[in-house]
Amino acid sequence: MAEMKLSFLYRAAVTKGEELRYISHLDYAGAIQRAIRRAGLPAAYSEGFNPHLKISFASALAVGVTSDIEYFDLELAEPLPPLTVAKRLKATLPPGINLLELRQLRKRKGTLMAEADEAGYTVDIPLTGPAEAARAAVAAFNAAPECVFHRATPKKTRDIEVKQYMAEAIALETGGETARLTMRIRITPTGSIKPGEVLSLLVDRYGFPGDERNAGLCRRALTGQGKSLLELDD
Amino acid sequence: MIELTPDLLGAVTKPARYTGGEWNAVHKDAATVACRFALSMPDVYEVGMSNLGLKILYEVLNRRADTAAERVYAPWPDMEKAMREKGLPLYSLESFSAIGDFDFLGFSLQYEMCYTNVLNMLDLAGLPVWSAARGEDAPFIVGGGPCVYNVEPVADFFDLFVIGEGEAVLGELVDAFIAWKNEGRPGGRQGFLLRAAALEGIYVPSLYEPRYDEAGRFKSLTPLHPAARPVIYKRLLADFDDAPAMTAPVVPYIGIVHDRIMLELFRGCSRGCRFCQAGIAYRPVRERSLPRLLELARQMAAATGYDEMSLTSLSSADYSCLEPLVDTLMADFAAARMSFSLPSLRVDSFSIELADKLQQIRKSGLTFAPEAGTQRLRDVINKGVTEADLMAAVGAAFRRGWKAVKLYFMMGLPTETDEDIIGIADLAKKVVDLYTEIKGKRGVKVTVSVSCFVPKPYTPFQWFPQNTLAEFDRKQRLLKEHIRDRAIQYNYHDARVSRLEGVMARGDRRLAAVLYEAWRAGAKFDGWSDQFREEYWLSAFEKCGVDPAVYNERTRDFDEPLPWSHTSPGVETGFLRREWDKAMAASLTADCRRGDCTGCGVCQRLGVRVVDGRRQDG
Repeated sequence: MAEMKLSFLYRAAVTKGEELRYISHLDYAGAIQRAIRRAGLPAAYSEGFNPHLKISFASALAVGVTSDIEYFDLELAEPLPPLTVAKRLKATLPPGINLLELRQLRKRKGTLMAEADEAGYTVDIPLTGPAEAARAAVAAFNAAPECVFHRATPKKTRDIEVKQYMAEAIALETGGETARLTMRIRITPTGSIKPGEVLSLLVDRYGFPGDERNAGLCRRALTGQGKSLLELDD
Repeated sequence: MIELTPDLLGAVTKPARYTGGEWNAVHKDAATVACRFALSMPDVYEVGMSNLGLKILYEVLNRRADTAAERVYAPWPDMEKAMREKGLPLYSLESFSAIGDFDFLGFSLQYEMCYTNVLNMLDLAGLPVWSAARGEDAPFIVGGGPCVYNVEPVADFFDLFVIGEGEAVLGELVDAFIAWKNEGRPGGRQGFLLRAAALEGIYVPSLYEPRYDEAGRFKSLTPLHPAARPVIYKRLLADFDDAPAMTAPVVPYIGIVHDRIMLELFRGCSRGCRFCQAGIAYRPVRERSLPRLLELARQMAAATGYDEMSLTSLSSADYSCLEPLVDTLMADFAAARMSFSLPSLRVDSFSIELADKLQQIRKSGLTFAPEAGTQRLRDVINKGVTEADLMAAVGAAFRRGWKAVKLYFMMGLPTETDEDIIGIADLAKKVVDLYTEIKGKRGVKVTVSVSCFVPKPYTPFQWFPQNTLAEFDRKQRLLKEHIRDRAIQYNYHDARVSRLEGVMARGDRRLAAVLYEAWRAGAKFDGWSDQFREEYWLSAFEKCGVDPAVYNERTRDFDEPLPWSHTSPGVETGFLRREWDKAMAASLTADCRRGDCTGCGVCQRLGVRVVDGRRQDG
């Protein structure tokens, strides 16, 4: 019988700032793990030949996207007060990763990845044409009953119906030379769509007059059943 | 300040190479320092960030309140293209300042195939590549690293070179710069170079002129100024234990080549392999003490958060306190689940026991370097390894569960015959058979990796001709024909790259024109097989009227003047001559680390001594 080890679960909310825009999800996770080790926290490790820190993330963020709020669950081998954990971690997180909040979870629940079911994004994009054209493109997209995105990766290509993942109509604000798109995207067990992919559709298919290559994408919220993932434990 | 826009970064591979902001990166306000020093390796970020020397210099320089050291590496061709299109100059990763705004730009020259990247980076920085064409405001271009033991092919592109260990010299160089600057830059650029030349270990190439005889042979490098020393000897840390060390290396976001803590156990290696330039260049052996290493290990672990530590040295298994070091480290870092690696394994069972202890259960491949296929040739190169040693080591590894072995060899060594080449195949087969014998079944993977020997300056083989391309090609095919067991995987190097490396390694200043032409034609990243284009080089040699074979395929006379004799690691030519004679007699020379002095002359010349915990007179 394997020895049962007690572990203590914490959930943290952090940012991925402008400094880290071009860091991949895996490298972002690695940076947080090294920060935990620098903080000297009594982390719990997996068993086996290649022990790794017990940490899990909610939803991967694409390269080129920043975030106002990301979540991760961390297991410690000793029960430290959340304030202590937060204080030590804040001192060792790199610039661009700010610790917003950290709570101890009373009991183990499902994975963070399973809890998150919706993400909110903003896309700030320089306009290359009149604001009316932008409004028309967004309105056409919002009105379309369905819209297929052709996702091509080096390994395979796949057609994805996008509208099933749009939790609400895309909102558009225009001011001067830039526009802001606000979108809420469903995350389901069978898949989701990336905000960058929605943007590509708007530009390529619906004629949105924007400089896609200079768009700034940011995740603004990540929720489960309409609530912050920090509230789920209550 | 350079601004990188999303359209640029979004379109290049691995954009995090170019955005800085890593943990432990040092950001200083340029207005508060007297000296700004850009440190570079002329290769891509992942390679440059892995260089131990640059990591040390970065910390040592940044400890000075009056100096800011920043990093810059070679942008990959896609990024370079985007930067040129947008008119962005080469910039530093800390302050995003144009490189042209620095006081110094230092390049670590690790091997000859990086030279075109130096030119390309200077050009991308908006600086003239020829030192004579650079104006008063340009940074001083500094070279260092192992290539300084023959830096003549690139001498005309640099303002000065640091010979030896940079930590021992750069402080003095920066002091001299700040003094010159505070005095109102007397004498201008040349005024500073004369002051630099007065420092021991600094070579200012513009203060010398090469002369050639009627036949076009190199005759001499003549000093043009009283400040120019006839010979510049390397500088080094006499007391490595007490020397300023790396304690908080920059932690990259993206994976780099050596992505772990590097704990440097000692400098130097005096095993005396006759092909090895590092074995001469870094002499003598100077160990760090056990308490100092444990202190550095703790500091670096706490400062980085890495979960892997490499016990680095030219021959780590030779460290006098290796067992207590490993045991203490493993105990100290057990809770932190730190894993340790030993990059240079000796071919003996002691090394296997250690590797076994370090690797615990994971049994990835083990690497050994017998270097030659027969005992006779291993004796010629003074590689003190017998077939029995190798079989004992490999056997011990197989019994402990390893299933993959990598064996490194060279071809084109002096006195080599076809028998020696076939000996490589035979040795690999014996290793395969040994596995089958021990395990009672097949299932081993033996990788045979064969490089093309490049004779290097300041080695006993510095007079020896490199094999021709045709000869390398013939030997590579010969070996392939003799490897029949499918458990053996055979890799070999591109001889065309090794040939070029051989030309540059023992070249003189006349090669600068060739380098320039090759770069103009488009040569860069020549060390990357997917980027190397031999045609650029062949047409450059032709255009400049330079026959490369004169540099690499010619047997040099023992009394012939050598173009690298003025930048010296301190070894006596007589020692290299004696070692050549012993090589021809296949006679061995012992390691002086714990034994008698072998008379290389380095300690006497430089006023240093071997520091080793097990040395009797230590």
